[in-house]
Amino acid sequence: MSVPILELKGLTKRFGGLTAVNDVSFRVEEGGISGLIGPNGAGKTTIFNLITGVYKVSAGDILYKGASIADKEPYKIADLGVTRTFQNIRLFKNLTVLDNVLTASHMSAKYGLAEALFRLPRFRRDEKALREKTMELLSIMGLADRAEVVSNNLPYGLQRRLEITRALALNPKLLLLDEPAAGMNPDETNQLMRLIGEIRGKFKLSVLVIEHHMDLIMGVCEHIHVLNFGCTLADGKPETVANDPKVVDAYLGAEETK
Amino acid sequence: MNLFLQQLVNGLSIGSIYALMAVGYSLVYSIMNFSNFAHGSVIMLGAYFGYYAMTLLGLPFLGGAVAAALGSAGVAIILERLAYKPLRDRRAPFLYFIITAMGASMFIDNSVIATIGPTPKMYPNVFGQGPISIGHIDIGRVDLAMFIISAVALVALILFIDHTKLGKAIQATAYNMKASALMGISPSFVIILVFGIGGGLAGIAGILYGMKYQVFPQIGAITLKSFIAAVFGGLGSLPGALLGALLLGILETFVSGYLSSQYRDLIAFTLLIAMLVIRPSGIMGKNAEDKA
Amino acid sequence: MEYILGIFELSAINLVAVLGLSILTGFTGLFSFGHAGFMAIGAYVGGILTKNLHYPFWVAIIAAGLSAGLVSIVIGRLTLKLKGDYFCIATMGFGEAVRLIFSNMNYVNGARGLADIPQFKGASLAIPFVVAVIAIVVAWNLVNSRQGRNMVAVREEELAAQMAGINVLGSKMVAMIASAVLAGVAGALMANFIGFIAPKSFNMTKSTELTIIVIFGGLGSISGSVIGAFLLTALPELLRAFSDWRLVFYGLAVIVIMVGRPQGLLGGSELTPSGIRKMLADRKAKAAFARAKAGGRES
Ligand SMILES: Nc1ncnc2c1ncn2[C@@H]1O[C@H](COP(=O)(O)OP(=O)(O)OP(=O)(O)O)[C@@H](O)[C@H]1O
Ligand SMILES: [Mg+2]
Repeated sequence: MSVPILELKGLTKRFGGLTAVNDVSFRVEEGGISGLIGPNGAGKTTIFNLITGVYKVSAGDILYKGASIADKEPYKIADLGVTRTFQNIRLFKNLTVLDNVLTASHMSAKYGLAEALFRLPRFRRDEKALREKTMELLSIMGLADRAEVVSNNLPYGLQRRLEITRALALNPKLLLLDEPAAGMNPDETNQLMRLIGEIRGKFKLSVLVIEHHMDLIMGVCEHIHVLNFGCTLADGKPETVANDPKVVDAYLGAEETK
Repeated sequence: MNLFLQQLVNGLSIGSIYALMAVGYSLVYSIMNFSNFAHGSVIMLGAYFGYYAMTLLGLPFLGGAVAAALGSAGVAIILERLAYKPLRDRRAPFLYFIITAMGASMFIDNSVIATIGPTPKMYPNVFGQGPISIGHIDIGRVDLAMFIISAVALVALILFIDHTKLGKAIQATAYNMKASALMGISPSFVIILVFGIGGGLAGIAGILYGMKYQVFPQIGAITLKSFIAAVFGGLGSLPGALLGALLLGILETFVSGYLSSQYRDLIAFTLLIAMLVIRPSGIMGKNAEDKA
Repeated sequence: MEYILGIFELSAINLVAVLGLSILTGFTGLFSFGHAGFMAIGAYVGGILTKNLHYPFWVAIIAAGLSAGLVSIVIGRLTLKLKGDYFCIATMGFGEAVRLIFSNMNYVNGARGLADIPQFKGASLAIPFVVAVIAIVVAWNLVNSRQGRNMVAVREEELAAQMAGINVLGSKMVAMIASAVLAGVAGALMANFIGFIAPKSFNMTKSTELTIIVIFGGLGSISGSVIGAFLLTALPELLRAFSDWRLVFYGLAVIVIMVGRPQGLLGGSELTPSGIRKMLADRKAKAAFARAKAGGRES
């Protein structure tokens, strides 16, 4: 079997007395789309925060392409090719759509500080290429006509789309999406489903998505991992997981208390 | 040995003033998670309120102290309503709060300079002349008053926070504003309350500090010391602020006494930076992982 | 005539320092109470080099910028990891410490200050303007580069910036060094323009006055900072009669701006052809957004 793009091994995170993630292990195959589901507070976002280095791991390990990234700084993990979106959108609110994406593509430019301060040739060349590449990405994602709009003024659905676009600007190998369909109507959700499939093919990346919309998860994921109270509840193909009585229980239980 | 005890007494007296300022400031921080950097201006106004209450209205010292406390509490509450609340309501970034505090401080300080003028004013001497001697140690009358009044005010505060319903509401809100709001504690009310208490303590600190030295528009600069004290103790922790303030006061008098007063502030600032580097959460603060 | 020239000289000098703060506060979102400390370092280095060691102006100016920059590396290492209020209090401590050190240094005459520093005259009066123009160009280039965009990302949303592969601490450091160098250069210009410096000229009020200019001009706008620096340096000089009330007005205006129009004069926008186009496009989008929202509510 080939090396998975991401592998969690006995991952554990404690906040004081609370164990938010408890001995979780699973893998995301190269080129695959995997789903991470579970009731509210199950520890899904915490896992994303651990993978991206925002939180320090309490125990266990995180392997990216076979090498541990558990002790790396967040920005270095991003540079390696792991990017994410946020459950509660975090755009650079006062910047335009173009600048949001341009900022994220900074690693594609190679000029140094001195070259920037004095506008040396490489600065001009790189900046021009960067802008072209960004506009191209915006067209692919259907945001080109809004390039000059301040992102805070975008409709909600487009803000989510912009966040994904910004993540793609880093040329990631692994994209983590935290509830990308939250607050969307069924129509928008369908569109998003298609988009996720397209992105995977076009940008040759692997995706790990957190979602509550069951149809989205069942529709796009090839593999699903279910969490409950920080612990693994089930892991496997969508149809197996969906019929697992433990999963049905956890979800129905959660639904009833809502 | 006598010198040592003498310094210790002086240090406790100045430390108790720092404590009055630091505790009020830290109390606001514990609720708002931001520093009221205009705290110094509120202290300065307290010194003027007390001064005018005693000279123009001819009130006795206690009357002056009450006037200073009430006046400063009022100013602090007005400041929160007019300047900070609008920012909170639209969830402005942290930067805006600091800038607003800086503007408020500049406005208050310079209003006093423009109207009352920069000339220092002397409080009437209400405590009598000459130090009080206990054994071989001399205590200035104002210093003694500073210590006693600060101690009374701080004990009253601790009793209030630990043993009254309102005090418990403050604690609950400091621990978790959202959860306590759900339990029926109005955050808005608690915020007004802490600004009022912080302002009141600032007013008392102002009148005492003004009596020890003089009253002038830049007197609020001394709050920097209370910020340092609060950081020593751990921002947002009241016992921490108290301990930090007393330690700082004692340290300062010892440095002045045994080394040179020139180094007093320099050492305070160096310690501040050292503390921030080694243990930013202070002696008693808690080190939590930010929620992302 | 000489008086008017003097005002322009002072404006140009203030502008250099303001540009530094614009980068630090306006673009990176870091607030410093102690920036005058870097100015003091520059002023004293410049003053000593020209007065005691008889170096030419330009050597002193470069040395002043470099010294402030070096100190900022140390200070940045110690303080930039700190969050929010802790950082502010630390900068306060730094600014006051610098002032106290110079006040206690006999070599520079302590609190009485350093007098008889060689002053610009004749052709050398052009130096502040030349430096100001260079500073504008360099600051402009910085904020319009990838390094500059990284700073703005840090200001907007630190966590998202990290997730976009931006070294947050590194970006803050670049901003800190750039602003300290400019402050140091401004300090040296000040020393050689006025001919006298004293520790108390570099207190917290000086720091906050410079920050206020940035706020008036608008956070995140170089052209706003330029306009702000000239207006706010010239205005009080022309309205001397109201000098007592000047800072009262500033303080009030800062509160009103933060509460009512936090973007200041030109927040986030630039007075250039493309900047104005952007502003107009955004107006339209905002209006459309508001219409869509209102429509959505009706249906
Ligand atoms: N920084 C933190 N400090 C303390 N507790 C935390 C922190 N971050 C998360 N938690 C706790 O960890 C648990 C898991 O939270 P997490 O956000 O990972 O849940 P989730 O599965 O993403 O839920 P949701 O579906 O609501 O987004 C919760 O009980 C939460 O309160
Ligand atoms: Mg979540």
